[in-house]
Amino acid sequence: MSSDIILQVNNLNVWYEDFHAVKGITVGYPEKSISAIIGPSGCGKSTFLRCLNRIYEEVPGAKATGEIILEGKNILDKSVDPVELRRRIGMVFQKPNPFPAMSILDNVTIGLRLQGIKDKSYLMNIAEQCLRKAALWDEVKDKLHKLGTSLSGGQQQRLCIARALAVNPPVLLMDEPTSALDPIASAKIEDLMSELKKEFTVIVVTHNMQQAARIADYTSFFVLGDLIEHGLSSDIFTNPKQQKTEDYITGRFG
Amino acid sequence: MVRDIENIQHSFSTENDGNISKKQTFLTYGEQDKFAYYLLKLVASLVIILLLGMIAMLLNSSLSAIEEFGIGFALNDNWNPVEDEFGALAFLFGTLVTSALAILIAAPLSISVAVFINEILPTKLGKLISLFVEMIAAIPSIVFGLWGIFFLGPFVKDVLTPFLKSNFGFLPLFQGASFGIGILTASIILAIMITPTITSICREVLKTVPKIQKEAALALGATRFEMIKIALIKPSFSGLTGGVVLGLGRALGETMAVAMVIGNSPTITASLFSPAATMASVIANEYAEADSDLHLSAMCYIGLLLFLVTFIVNSFARAIVWKKQRKARG
Repeated sequence: MSSDIILQVNNLNVWYEDFHAVKGITVGYPEKSISAIIGPSGCGKSTFLRCLNRIYEEVPGAKATGEIILEGKNILDKSVDPVELRRRIGMVFQKPNPFPAMSILDNVTIGLRLQGIKDKSYLMNIAEQCLRKAALWDEVKDKLHKLGTSLSGGQQQRLCIARALAVNPPVLLMDEPTSALDPIASAKIEDLMSELKKEFTVIVVTHNMQQAARIADYTSFFVLGDLIEHGLSSDIFTNPKQQKTEDYITGRFG
Repeated sequence: MVRDIENIQHSFSTENDGNISKKQTFLTYGEQDKFAYYLLKLVASLVIILLLGMIAMLLNSSLSAIEEFGIGFALNDNWNPVEDEFGALAFLFGTLVTSALAILIAAPLSISVAVFINEILPTKLGKLISLFVEMIAAIPSIVFGLWGIFFLGPFVKDVLTPFLKSNFGFLPLFQGASFGIGILTASIILAIMITPTITSICREVLKTVPKIQKEAALALGATRFEMIKIALIKPSFSGLTGGVVLGLGRALGETMAVAMVIGNSPTITASLFSPAATMASVIANEYAEADSDLHLSAMCYIGLLLFLVTFIVNSFARAIVWKKQRKARG
Protein backbone atom coordinates (compact mmCIF):
# COMPACT_ATOMS: atom_id res chain seq x y z
CA MET A 1 0.00 0.00 0.00
CA SER A 2 1.75 3.12 -1.18
CA SER A 3 0.52 6.50 -0.18
CA ASP A 4 0.97 8.27 -3.51
CA ILE A 5 -2.31 9.86 -4.43
CA ILE A 6 -3.39 8.69 -7.88
CA LEU A 7 -6.77 10.37 -8.00
CA GLN A 8 -7.41 13.67 -6.23
CA VAL A 9 -10.92 15.08 -6.08
CA ASN A 10 -11.21 18.77 -5.18
CA ASN A 11 -14.48 20.49 -4.32
CA LEU A 12 -16.61 18.33 -6.60
CA ASN A 13 -20.23 19.44 -7.03
CA VAL A 14 -22.82 17.66 -9.14
CA TRP A 15 -26.25 18.85 -10.12
CA TYR A 16 -29.07 17.01 -11.86
CA GLU A 17 -31.00 19.97 -13.23
CA ASP A 18 -31.69 21.84 -9.95
CA PHE A 19 -30.95 18.95 -7.61
CA HIS A 20 -27.62 19.29 -5.85
CA ALA A 21 -26.57 15.64 -5.64
CA VAL A 22 -22.92 15.90 -4.62
CA LYS A 23 -21.82 18.84 -2.48
CA GLY A 24 -18.26 20.06 -2.50
CA ILE A 25 -16.41 16.77 -2.01
CA THR A 26 -12.64 16.82 -1.53
CA VAL A 27 -10.90 13.49 -1.18
CA GLY A 28 -7.74 11.77 -2.42
CA TYR A 29 -7.29 8.13 -3.39
CA PRO A 30 -3.89 6.50 -2.76
CA GLU A 31 -2.43 4.26 -5.42
CA LYS A 32 -2.91 0.48 -5.17
CA SER A 33 -5.47 0.54 -2.41
CA ILE A 34 -9.15 -0.21 -2.05
CA SER A 35 -11.32 2.70 -1.05
CA ALA A 36 -14.95 2.16 -0.19
CA ILE A 37 -17.77 4.67 -0.33
CA ILE A 38 -20.63 3.92 2.03
CA GLY A 39 -23.77 5.77 2.96
CA PRO A 40 -27.56 5.50 2.96
CA SER A 41 -29.54 5.34 -0.30
CA GLY A 42 -29.67 8.59 -2.24
CA CYS A 43 -26.52 9.96 -0.61
CA GLY A 44 -24.85 10.61 -3.96
CA LYS A 45 -22.27 7.86 -3.70
CA SER A 46 -23.05 6.36 -7.11
CA THR A 47 -23.23 9.80 -8.68
CA PHE A 48 -19.84 10.61 -7.20
CA LEU A 49 -18.37 7.40 -8.59
CA ARG A 50 -19.91 8.04 -12.00
CA CYS A 51 -18.13 11.39 -12.13
CA LEU A 52 -14.76 9.73 -11.88
CA ASN A 53 -15.05 8.32 -15.40
CA ARG A 54 -17.47 11.01 -16.56
CA ILE A 55 -20.20 8.54 -17.36
CA TYR A 56 -22.57 10.82 -15.39
CA GLU A 57 -22.68 12.86 -18.61
CA GLU A 58 -25.03 10.24 -20.05
CA VAL A 59 -27.80 11.59 -17.82
CA PRO A 60 -29.39 14.59 -19.56
CA GLY A 61 -29.16 17.71 -17.40
CA ALA A 62 -26.27 16.47 -15.23
CA LYS A 63 -23.53 19.00 -14.51
CA ALA A 64 -20.33 18.74 -12.49
CA THR A 65 -17.96 21.43 -11.23
CA GLY A 66 -14.67 21.19 -9.37
CA GLU A 67 -11.56 19.20 -10.07
CA ILE A 68 -10.73 15.52 -10.44
CA ILE A 69 -6.99 15.22 -10.98
CA LEU A 70 -5.65 12.09 -12.66
CA GLU A 71 -2.01 12.09 -13.75
CA GLY A 72 -1.78 15.86 -13.36
CA LYS A 73 -4.82 16.68 -15.47
CA ASN A 74 -8.29 17.78 -14.46
CA ILE A 75 -10.44 15.13 -16.13
CA LEU A 76 -13.56 17.27 -15.85
CA ASP A 77 -11.93 19.74 -18.22
CA LYS A 78 -13.62 19.94 -21.60
CA SER A 79 -10.30 19.30 -23.32
CA VAL A 80 -10.14 15.79 -21.86
CA ASP A 81 -11.75 13.27 -24.18
CA PRO A 82 -14.08 11.03 -22.13
CA VAL A 83 -13.28 8.14 -24.49
CA GLU A 84 -9.57 8.42 -23.63
CA LEU A 85 -10.37 8.85 -19.95
CA ARG A 86 -12.51 5.72 -19.77
CA ARG A 87 -9.61 3.68 -21.07
CA ARG A 88 -7.65 4.83 -18.01
CA ILE A 89 -10.48 4.38 -15.51
CA GLY A 90 -12.42 1.13 -15.80
CA MET A 91 -15.85 0.49 -14.37
CA VAL A 92 -17.82 -2.48 -13.09
CA PHE A 93 -21.54 -2.04 -12.64
CA GLN A 94 -24.13 -3.07 -10.11
CA LYS A 95 -25.72 -5.68 -12.35
CA PRO A 96 -23.46 -7.96 -14.40
CA ASN A 97 -23.69 -6.65 -17.96
CA PRO A 98 -21.67 -8.74 -20.41
CA PHE A 99 -22.55 -7.98 -24.02
CA PRO A 100 -25.30 -10.46 -24.83
CA ALA A 101 -24.37 -11.15 -28.45
CA MET A 102 -20.70 -11.81 -27.67
CA SER A 103 -18.75 -14.86 -26.59
CA ILE A 104 -16.82 -14.92 -23.33
CA LEU A 105 -13.61 -14.31 -25.24
CA ASP A 106 -15.07 -11.43 -27.26
CA ASN A 107 -16.41 -9.85 -24.10
CA VAL A 108 -12.96 -9.77 -22.54
CA THR A 109 -11.17 -8.49 -25.62
CA ILE A 110 -13.74 -5.93 -26.76
CA GLY A 111 -11.97 -3.06 -24.98
CA LEU A 112 -8.72 -3.82 -26.79
CA ARG A 113 -10.47 -4.39 -30.10
CA LEU A 114 -12.10 -0.97 -29.70
CA GLN A 115 -8.58 0.42 -29.53
CA GLY A 116 -7.85 -1.18 -32.88
CA ILE A 117 -5.85 -4.20 -31.72
CA LYS A 118 -6.51 -7.12 -34.07
CA ASP A 119 -3.63 -9.54 -33.42
CA LYS A 120 -5.45 -12.76 -32.44
CA SER A 121 -2.68 -14.36 -30.39
CA TYR A 122 -2.04 -11.13 -28.49
CA LEU A 123 -5.76 -10.78 -27.72
CA MET A 124 -5.93 -14.42 -26.62
CA ASN A 125 -2.93 -13.91 -24.39
CA ILE A 126 -4.44 -10.84 -22.71
CA ALA A 127 -7.81 -12.58 -22.38
CA GLU A 128 -6.18 -15.47 -20.52
CA GLN A 129 -4.25 -13.11 -18.24
CA CYS A 130 -7.33 -11.08 -17.41
CA LEU A 131 -9.56 -14.08 -16.88
CA ARG A 132 -6.91 -15.46 -14.54
CA LYS A 133 -6.75 -12.15 -12.68
CA ALA A 134 -10.53 -12.25 -12.42
CA ALA A 135 -10.31 -15.83 -11.05
CA LEU A 136 -12.50 -17.07 -13.87
CA TRP A 137 -10.04 -18.78 -16.21
CA ASP A 138 -10.38 -22.30 -14.81
CA GLU A 139 -14.16 -22.13 -15.01
CA VAL A 140 -14.39 -20.89 -18.60
CA LYS A 141 -11.21 -22.01 -20.38
CA ASP A 142 -13.06 -24.82 -22.17
CA LYS A 143 -15.96 -22.69 -23.33
CA LEU A 144 -14.45 -19.39 -24.36
CA HIS A 145 -16.65 -19.28 -27.44
CA LYS A 146 -19.91 -19.67 -25.54
CA LEU A 147 -22.00 -16.62 -24.87
CA GLY A 148 -21.00 -14.46 -21.92
CA THR A 149 -24.61 -14.43 -20.80
CA SER A 150 -24.61 -18.23 -20.48
CA LEU A 151 -22.57 -17.93 -17.26
CA SER A 152 -23.99 -17.66 -13.74
CA GLY A 153 -24.48 -14.21 -12.21
CA GLY A 154 -21.27 -14.34 -10.17
CA GLN A 155 -19.28 -15.59 -13.15
CA GLN A 156 -20.78 -12.87 -15.33
CA GLN A 157 -19.69 -10.25 -12.83
CA ARG A 158 -16.14 -11.64 -12.81
CA LEU A 159 -16.27 -11.65 -16.61
CA CYS A 160 -17.16 -7.96 -16.45
CA ILE A 161 -14.21 -7.38 -14.15
CA ALA A 162 -11.93 -9.21 -16.60
CA ARG A 163 -13.37 -7.09 -19.40
CA ALA A 164 -12.56 -3.92 -17.48
CA LEU A 165 -9.04 -5.15 -16.65
CA ALA A 166 -8.21 -5.96 -20.26
CA VAL A 167 -7.42 -2.36 -21.14
CA ASN A 168 -5.17 -2.24 -18.07
CA PRO A 169 -6.63 0.86 -16.38
CA PRO A 170 -4.75 2.14 -13.35
CA VAL A 171 -8.05 2.87 -11.60
CA LEU A 172 -11.05 0.55 -11.37
CA LEU A 173 -14.45 1.83 -10.26
CA MET A 174 -16.99 -0.59 -8.87
CA ASP A 175 -20.59 0.42 -8.32
CA GLU A 176 -22.04 -2.03 -5.79
CA PRO A 177 -20.47 -4.97 -7.63
CA THR A 178 -21.91 -7.64 -5.32
CA SER A 179 -25.40 -6.31 -4.64
CA ALA A 180 -26.97 -8.56 -7.28
CA LEU A 181 -25.06 -11.65 -6.19
CA ASP A 182 -25.49 -14.37 -3.59
CA PRO A 183 -23.11 -14.49 -0.56
CA ILE A 184 -20.76 -17.10 -2.05
CA ALA A 185 -20.38 -15.26 -5.35
CA SER A 186 -19.94 -12.02 -3.37
CA ALA A 187 -17.18 -13.56 -1.27
CA LYS A 188 -15.35 -14.58 -4.45
CA ILE A 189 -15.56 -11.03 -5.78
CA GLU A 190 -14.28 -9.67 -2.46
CA ASP A 191 -11.29 -12.02 -2.54
CA LEU A 192 -10.68 -10.96 -6.09
CA MET A 193 -10.74 -7.27 -5.15
CA SER A 194 -8.11 -7.85 -2.49
CA GLU A 195 -5.95 -9.46 -5.18
CA LEU A 196 -6.59 -6.64 -7.61
CA LYS A 197 -5.26 -3.93 -5.33
CA LYS A 198 -1.75 -5.29 -5.87
CA GLU A 199 -1.92 -3.83 -9.36
CA PHE A 200 -4.87 -1.47 -9.48
CA THR A 201 -6.47 1.26 -7.47
CA VAL A 202 -10.02 0.17 -6.67
CA ILE A 203 -12.79 2.54 -5.65
CA VAL A 204 -15.93 0.69 -4.66
CA VAL A 205 -19.40 1.90 -3.75
CA THR A 206 -21.13 -0.50 -1.42
CA HIS A 207 -24.31 -0.80 0.53
CA ASN A 208 -22.72 -3.35 2.72
CA MET A 209 -20.74 -1.89 5.62
CA GLN A 210 -19.26 -5.25 6.59
CA GLN A 211 -17.92 -5.53 3.07
CA ALA A 212 -16.26 -2.14 3.34
CA ALA A 213 -14.80 -3.07 6.71
CA ARG A 214 -13.49 -6.38 5.34
CA ILE A 215 -11.82 -5.25 2.15
CA ALA A 216 -11.30 -1.49 2.08
CA ASP A 217 -8.15 0.29 3.21
CA TYR A 218 -9.97 3.61 3.19
CA THR A 219 -13.62 4.40 3.66
CA SER A 220 -15.65 7.51 2.91
CA PHE A 221 -19.03 8.03 4.48
CA PHE A 222 -21.55 10.08 2.49
CA VAL A 223 -24.89 11.50 3.60
CA LEU A 224 -27.14 13.49 1.27
CA GLY A 225 -24.28 14.52 -0.99
CA ASP A 226 -21.94 15.55 1.82
CA LEU A 227 -18.75 13.73 2.71
CA ILE A 228 -19.13 13.25 6.44
CA GLU A 229 -15.91 11.43 7.09
CA HIS A 230 -13.03 9.91 5.16
CA GLY A 231 -10.14 7.95 6.55
CA LEU A 232 -8.58 4.57 7.17
CA SER A 233 -11.28 1.92 7.39
CA SER A 234 -9.86 0.79 10.69
CA ASP A 235 -10.48 4.25 12.12
CA ILE A 236 -13.88 4.76 10.54
CA PHE A 237 -15.27 1.47 11.77
CA THR A 238 -13.72 1.37 15.20
CA ASN A 239 -13.19 4.96 16.16
CA PRO A 240 -15.30 7.33 14.04
CA LYS A 241 -14.77 11.02 14.67
CA GLN A 242 -18.25 12.10 13.66
CA GLN A 243 -21.42 11.29 15.56
CA LYS A 244 -23.31 10.61 12.27
CA THR A 245 -20.75 8.05 11.19
CA GLU A 246 -21.00 6.28 14.49
CA ASP A 247 -24.80 6.29 14.31
CA TYR A 248 -24.68 4.84 10.80
CA ILE A 249 -22.16 2.09 11.40
CA THR A 250 -23.85 1.04 14.59
CA GLY A 251 -27.16 0.85 12.75
CA ARG A 252 -28.93 3.70 14.53
CA PHE A 253 -29.55 5.56 11.31
CA GLY A 254 -29.72 4.93 7.58
CA MET B 1 -54.01 -0.94 9.80
CA VAL B 2 -55.23 -3.29 12.49
CA ARG B 3 -58.76 -1.94 12.01
CA ASP B 4 -58.53 -2.65 8.30
CA ILE B 5 -57.64 -6.24 8.93
CA GLU B 6 -60.49 -6.55 11.38
CA ASN B 7 -62.89 -5.10 8.86
CA ILE B 8 -61.70 -7.46 6.17
CA GLN B 9 -61.99 -10.40 8.49
CA HIS B 10 -65.43 -9.21 9.50
CA SER B 11 -66.65 -8.91 5.93
CA PHE B 12 -65.26 -12.32 5.16
CA SER B 13 -66.93 -13.93 8.08
CA THR B 14 -70.33 -12.40 7.30
CA GLU B 15 -70.05 -13.66 3.75
CA ASN B 16 -69.24 -17.08 5.02
CA ASP B 17 -72.10 -16.99 7.51
CA GLY B 18 -74.55 -16.66 4.66
CA ASN B 19 -74.99 -20.00 3.03
CA ILE B 20 -72.65 -20.35 0.04
CA SER B 21 -75.06 -22.52 -1.85
CA LYS B 22 -77.56 -19.66 -1.78
CA LYS B 23 -75.39 -17.77 -4.25
CA GLN B 24 -76.69 -19.45 -7.33
CA THR B 25 -74.81 -18.80 -10.56
CA PHE B 26 -75.79 -19.91 -14.03
CA LEU B 27 -72.56 -21.88 -14.39
CA THR B 28 -70.11 -23.13 -11.82
CA TYR B 29 -66.69 -21.50 -11.88
CA GLY B 30 -65.17 -24.53 -13.52
CA GLU B 31 -67.83 -24.43 -16.22
CA GLN B 32 -67.22 -20.72 -16.75
CA ASP B 33 -63.54 -21.42 -17.36
CA LYS B 34 -64.40 -24.17 -19.77
CA PHE B 35 -66.85 -21.91 -21.58
CA ALA B 36 -64.23 -19.18 -21.95
CA TYR B 37 -61.72 -21.74 -23.14
CA TYR B 38 -63.96 -23.06 -25.90
CA LEU B 39 -65.03 -19.55 -26.91
CA LEU B 40 -61.41 -18.45 -27.34
CA LYS B 41 -60.57 -21.65 -29.14
CA LEU B 42 -63.44 -21.08 -31.55
CA VAL B 43 -62.49 -17.46 -32.29
CA ALA B 44 -58.83 -18.35 -32.70
CA SER B 45 -59.68 -21.22 -35.04
CA LEU B 46 -61.73 -18.83 -37.16
CA VAL B 47 -58.54 -17.02 -38.16
CA ILE B 48 -56.96 -20.25 -39.34
CA ILE B 49 -60.16 -21.29 -41.11
CA LEU B 50 -60.21 -17.90 -42.84
CA LEU B 51 -56.63 -18.39 -44.05
CA LEU B 52 -57.31 -21.91 -45.30
CA GLY B 53 -60.54 -20.70 -46.92
CA MET B 54 -58.68 -18.02 -48.83
CA ILE B 55 -56.13 -20.50 -50.09
CA ALA B 56 -58.92 -22.86 -51.13
CA MET B 57 -60.76 -20.09 -52.94
CA LEU B 58 -57.60 -19.02 -54.79
CA LEU B 59 -56.82 -22.61 -55.72
CA ASN B 60 -60.36 -23.20 -56.90
CA SER B 61 -60.54 -20.15 -59.14
CA SER B 62 -57.09 -20.70 -60.61
CA LEU B 63 -57.79 -24.36 -61.27
CA SER B 64 -58.37 -23.99 -65.02
CA ALA B 65 -55.12 -22.02 -65.42
CA ILE B 66 -53.23 -24.59 -63.37
CA GLU B 67 -54.62 -27.36 -65.58
CA GLU B 68 -53.72 -25.41 -68.71
CA PHE B 69 -50.20 -24.24 -67.82
CA GLY B 70 -49.08 -26.29 -64.84
CA ILE B 71 -45.96 -25.32 -62.89
CA GLY B 72 -44.43 -23.93 -66.08
CA PHE B 73 -46.71 -20.90 -65.59
CA ALA B 74 -44.19 -19.41 -63.16
CA LEU B 75 -41.27 -19.99 -65.53
CA ASN B 76 -42.80 -18.66 -68.73
CA ASP B 77 -42.49 -14.97 -69.50
CA ASN B 78 -45.00 -14.84 -72.33
CA TRP B 79 -48.10 -12.86 -71.27
CA ASN B 80 -50.46 -12.42 -74.17
CA PRO B 81 -54.14 -12.12 -73.22
CA VAL B 82 -55.21 -11.71 -76.86
CA GLU B 83 -53.92 -15.17 -77.73
CA ASP B 84 -54.87 -16.59 -74.31
CA GLU B 85 -51.23 -17.34 -73.56
CA PHE B 86 -50.19 -16.70 -70.02
CA GLY B 87 -46.93 -16.93 -68.08
CA ALA B 88 -46.10 -15.15 -64.83
CA LEU B 89 -42.30 -15.00 -64.88
CA ALA B 90 -42.15 -11.32 -65.82
CA PHE B 91 -44.41 -10.40 -62.90
CA LEU B 92 -42.52 -12.61 -60.52
CA PHE B 93 -39.36 -10.86 -61.66
CA GLY B 94 -40.92 -7.40 -61.25
CA THR B 95 -42.18 -8.15 -57.75
CA LEU B 96 -38.93 -9.62 -56.50
CA VAL B 97 -36.70 -6.96 -58.04
CA THR B 98 -38.73 -3.96 -56.90
CA SER B 99 -39.10 -5.37 -53.38
CA ALA B 100 -35.44 -6.30 -53.08
CA LEU B 101 -34.36 -2.88 -54.27
CA ALA B 102 -36.84 -1.22 -51.93
CA ILE B 103 -35.43 -3.19 -48.97
CA LEU B 104 -31.90 -2.34 -50.03
CA ILE B 105 -32.81 1.35 -49.84
CA ALA B 106 -35.19 1.23 -46.88
CA ALA B 107 -33.41 -1.08 -44.42
CA PRO B 108 -30.24 0.99 -43.85
CA LEU B 109 -32.29 4.17 -43.98
CA SER B 110 -34.83 2.96 -41.42
CA ILE B 111 -32.28 1.53 -39.02
CA SER B 112 -30.26 4.76 -39.19
CA VAL B 113 -33.36 6.84 -38.56
CA ALA B 114 -34.33 4.62 -35.62
CA VAL B 115 -30.85 4.90 -34.07
CA PHE B 116 -30.78 8.64 -34.71
CA ILE B 117 -34.16 9.23 -33.07
CA ASN B 118 -33.47 6.96 -30.09
CA GLU B 119 -29.85 7.71 -29.35
CA ILE B 120 -28.81 11.05 -30.79
CA LEU B 121 -31.82 13.36 -30.65
CA PRO B 122 -33.04 14.83 -27.35
CA THR B 123 -36.13 12.94 -26.18
CA LYS B 124 -38.70 15.60 -27.05
CA LEU B 125 -37.36 16.33 -30.50
CA GLY B 126 -37.06 12.60 -31.11
CA LYS B 127 -40.75 12.11 -30.34
CA LEU B 128 -41.68 14.89 -32.74
CA ILE B 129 -39.55 13.51 -35.54
CA SER B 130 -40.83 9.98 -35.04
CA LEU B 131 -44.37 11.35 -35.24
CA PHE B 132 -43.56 12.74 -38.68
CA VAL B 133 -41.96 9.49 -39.78
CA GLU B 134 -44.99 7.52 -38.63
CA MET B 135 -47.29 9.90 -40.47
CA ILE B 136 -45.74 8.69 -43.72
CA ALA B 137 -47.38 5.35 -42.99
CA ALA B 138 -50.77 7.05 -42.90
CA ILE B 139 -50.48 8.48 -46.42
CA PRO B 140 -52.82 6.52 -48.71
CA SER B 141 -51.18 4.40 -51.35
CA ILE B 142 -52.93 6.25 -54.16
CA VAL B 143 -51.48 9.57 -52.97
CA PHE B 144 -48.03 8.04 -53.12
CA GLY B 145 -48.90 6.97 -56.68
CA LEU B 146 -49.89 10.51 -57.65
CA TRP B 147 -46.75 11.91 -56.08
CA GLY B 148 -44.78 9.30 -57.98
CA ILE B 149 -46.30 10.27 -61.31
CA PHE B 150 -46.05 14.03 -60.88
CA PHE B 151 -42.85 14.42 -58.89
CA LEU B 152 -40.75 11.31 -58.46
CA GLY B 153 -41.07 10.13 -62.08
CA PRO B 154 -39.78 13.40 -63.58
CA PHE B 155 -37.14 13.58 -60.84
CA VAL B 156 -35.85 10.11 -61.68
CA LYS B 157 -35.90 10.94 -65.36
CA ASP B 158 -34.23 14.35 -65.21
CA VAL B 159 -31.91 14.14 -62.20
CA LEU B 160 -31.30 10.60 -60.98
CA THR B 161 -30.93 8.90 -64.36
CA PRO B 162 -28.29 11.27 -65.76
CA PHE B 163 -26.39 11.01 -62.47
CA LEU B 164 -26.47 7.21 -62.37
CA LYS B 165 -25.64 6.95 -66.06
CA SER B 166 -22.62 9.22 -65.87
CA ASN B 167 -21.23 7.51 -62.75
CA PHE B 168 -22.29 3.88 -63.05
CA GLY B 169 -23.24 3.73 -66.72
CA PHE B 170 -20.91 0.80 -67.33
CA LEU B 171 -23.26 -1.46 -65.35
CA PRO B 172 -26.12 -3.02 -67.33
CA LEU B 173 -28.39 -1.94 -64.46
CA PHE B 174 -28.07 1.69 -65.47
CA GLN B 175 -28.28 1.50 -69.23
CA GLY B 176 -31.08 2.29 -71.64
CA ALA B 177 -33.60 5.08 -71.88
CA SER B 178 -35.52 6.33 -68.86
CA PHE B 179 -39.11 7.52 -69.12
CA GLY B 180 -39.41 8.30 -65.44
CA ILE B 181 -41.67 5.35 -64.88
CA GLY B 182 -40.16 1.95 -64.27
CA ILE B 183 -38.47 -0.34 -61.78
CA LEU B 184 -36.33 2.34 -60.12
CA THR B 185 -39.20 4.75 -59.53
CA ALA B 186 -41.41 1.96 -58.17
CA SER B 187 -38.66 0.78 -55.85
CA ILE B 188 -38.07 4.26 -54.47
CA ILE B 189 -41.78 4.70 -53.80
CA LEU B 190 -41.89 1.31 -52.11
CA ALA B 191 -38.83 2.17 -50.02
CA ILE B 192 -40.49 5.37 -48.80
CA MET B 193 -43.71 3.54 -48.02
CA ILE B 194 -42.08 0.82 -45.92
CA THR B 195 -39.59 3.08 -44.12
CA PRO B 196 -42.01 4.14 -41.33
CA THR B 197 -42.98 0.52 -40.64
CA ILE B 198 -39.39 -0.64 -40.35
CA THR B 199 -38.36 2.46 -38.42
CA SER B 200 -40.98 2.11 -35.72
CA ILE B 201 -40.32 -1.60 -35.23
CA CYS B 202 -36.57 -0.97 -35.08
CA ARG B 203 -37.11 1.80 -32.54
CA GLU B 204 -39.08 -0.56 -30.31
CA VAL B 205 -36.40 -3.22 -30.68
CA LEU B 206 -33.60 -0.78 -29.84
CA LYS B 207 -35.54 0.52 -26.85
CA THR B 208 -35.40 -2.92 -25.24
CA VAL B 209 -31.61 -2.74 -24.91
CA PRO B 210 -30.97 -1.95 -21.23
CA LYS B 211 -29.22 1.31 -20.41
CA ILE B 212 -26.61 -0.67 -18.51
CA GLN B 213 -25.44 -2.32 -21.75
CA LYS B 214 -24.84 1.04 -23.36
CA GLU B 215 -22.99 2.26 -20.27
CA ALA B 216 -20.86 -0.89 -20.31
CA ALA B 217 -19.69 -0.03 -23.80
CA LEU B 218 -19.06 3.64 -22.98
CA ALA B 219 -17.21 2.75 -19.78
CA LEU B 220 -14.80 0.65 -21.86
CA GLY B 221 -13.86 3.68 -23.89
CA ALA B 222 -16.20 3.16 -26.82
CA THR B 223 -17.16 6.21 -28.83
CA ARG B 224 -20.86 6.85 -29.29
CA PHE B 225 -20.75 5.24 -32.70
CA GLU B 226 -18.91 2.17 -31.40
CA MET B 227 -21.39 1.92 -28.54
CA ILE B 228 -24.24 1.90 -31.06
CA LYS B 229 -22.49 -0.84 -33.00
CA ILE B 230 -21.52 -3.22 -30.21
CA ALA B 231 -24.14 -2.61 -27.53
CA LEU B 232 -27.16 -1.70 -29.62
CA ILE B 233 -27.17 -3.09 -33.17
CA LYS B 234 -25.31 -6.35 -32.54
CA PRO B 235 -27.56 -7.75 -29.83
CA SER B 236 -30.69 -6.50 -31.61
CA PHE B 237 -29.87 -8.17 -34.92
CA SER B 238 -32.75 -10.63 -34.94
CA GLY B 239 -35.26 -8.01 -33.89
CA LEU B 240 -34.07 -5.59 -36.55
CA THR B 241 -34.27 -8.34 -39.17
CA GLY B 242 -37.82 -9.00 -38.05
CA GLY B 243 -38.65 -5.35 -38.71
CA VAL B 244 -37.08 -5.49 -42.15
CA VAL B 245 -39.02 -8.66 -43.00
CA LEU B 246 -42.30 -7.02 -42.07
CA GLY B 247 -41.37 -4.17 -44.39
CA LEU B 248 -40.54 -6.66 -47.11
CA GLY B 249 -43.91 -8.30 -46.69
CA ARG B 250 -45.56 -4.98 -47.25
CA ALA B 251 -43.40 -4.21 -50.27
CA LEU B 252 -44.20 -7.53 -51.96
CA GLY B 253 -47.93 -6.97 -51.80
CA GLU B 254 -48.10 -3.23 -52.34
CA THR B 255 -50.32 -2.59 -55.35
CA MET B 256 -51.74 0.82 -56.09
CA ALA B 257 -48.71 3.09 -55.96
CA VAL B 258 -46.60 0.56 -57.81
CA ALA B 259 -49.21 0.04 -60.51
CA MET B 260 -49.20 3.80 -61.10
CA VAL B 261 -45.45 4.23 -61.58
CA ILE B 262 -44.02 0.96 -62.80
CA GLY B 263 -45.18 1.26 -66.40
CA ASN B 264 -47.01 -2.07 -66.54
CA SER B 265 -45.05 -3.80 -69.21
CA PRO B 266 -44.51 -7.54 -68.72
CA THR B 267 -40.86 -7.54 -69.70
CA ILE B 268 -37.69 -8.76 -68.08
CA THR B 269 -34.70 -6.46 -68.54
CA ALA B 270 -31.49 -5.76 -66.71
CA SER B 271 -32.05 -2.00 -66.80
CA LEU B 272 -33.62 -0.45 -63.71
CA PHE B 273 -34.89 2.40 -65.87
CA SER B 274 -37.17 0.26 -68.00
CA PRO B 275 -40.84 -0.28 -67.22
CA ALA B 276 -41.96 -3.59 -65.73
CA ALA B 277 -44.95 -5.04 -63.91
CA THR B 278 -45.44 -6.76 -60.57
CA MET B 279 -47.80 -9.56 -59.67
CA ALA B 280 -50.00 -7.22 -57.68
CA SER B 281 -49.99 -4.50 -60.31
CA VAL B 282 -51.03 -6.79 -63.16
CA ILE B 283 -53.98 -8.10 -61.19
CA ALA B 284 -55.08 -4.58 -60.36
CA ASN B 285 -54.67 -3.37 -63.93
CA GLU B 286 -56.20 -6.22 -65.87
CA TYR B 287 -58.82 -7.74 -63.65
CA ALA B 288 -61.59 -5.38 -64.71
CA GLU B 289 -60.91 -5.87 -68.40
CA ALA B 290 -60.34 -9.62 -68.41
CA ASP B 291 -62.92 -11.14 -70.71
CA SER B 292 -61.81 -14.73 -71.13
CA ASP B 293 -62.24 -17.18 -68.27
CA LEU B 294 -58.69 -18.37 -68.70
CA HIS B 295 -57.40 -14.79 -68.31
CA LEU B 296 -59.29 -14.44 -65.03
CA SER B 297 -58.09 -17.79 -63.86
CA ALA B 298 -54.51 -16.95 -64.79
CA MET B 299 -54.75 -13.87 -62.62
CA CYS B 300 -56.01 -15.89 -59.69
CA TYR B 301 -53.03 -18.17 -60.32
CA ILE B 302 -50.78 -15.11 -60.06
CA GLY B 303 -52.50 -14.22 -56.78
CA LEU B 304 -51.77 -17.72 -55.55
CA LEU B 305 -48.14 -17.36 -56.59
CA LEU B 306 -47.87 -14.01 -54.83
CA PHE B 307 -49.25 -15.65 -51.71
CA LEU B 308 -46.64 -18.38 -52.05
CA VAL B 309 -43.81 -15.90 -52.63
CA THR B 310 -44.64 -13.84 -49.54
CA PHE B 311 -44.90 -17.07 -47.57
CA ILE B 312 -41.51 -18.29 -48.77
CA VAL B 313 -39.79 -14.95 -48.26
CA ASN B 314 -41.18 -14.70 -44.75
CA SER B 315 -40.16 -18.25 -43.85
CA PHE B 316 -36.73 -17.67 -45.29
CA ALA B 317 -36.21 -14.50 -43.26
CA ARG B 318 -37.50 -16.20 -40.14
CA ALA B 319 -35.07 -19.05 -40.73
CA ILE B 320 -32.21 -16.54 -40.83
CA VAL B 321 -33.33 -15.08 -37.54
CA TRP B 322 -33.68 -18.49 -35.91
CA LYS B 323 -30.33 -19.62 -37.15
CA LYS B 324 -28.71 -16.47 -35.84
CA GLN B 325 -30.42 -16.89 -32.48
CA ARG B 326 -29.43 -20.54 -32.19
CA LYS B 327 -25.87 -19.71 -33.12
CA ALA B 328 -25.88 -16.94 -30.54
CA ARG B 329 -27.06 -19.40 -27.88
CA GLY B 330 -24.08 -21.55 -28.73
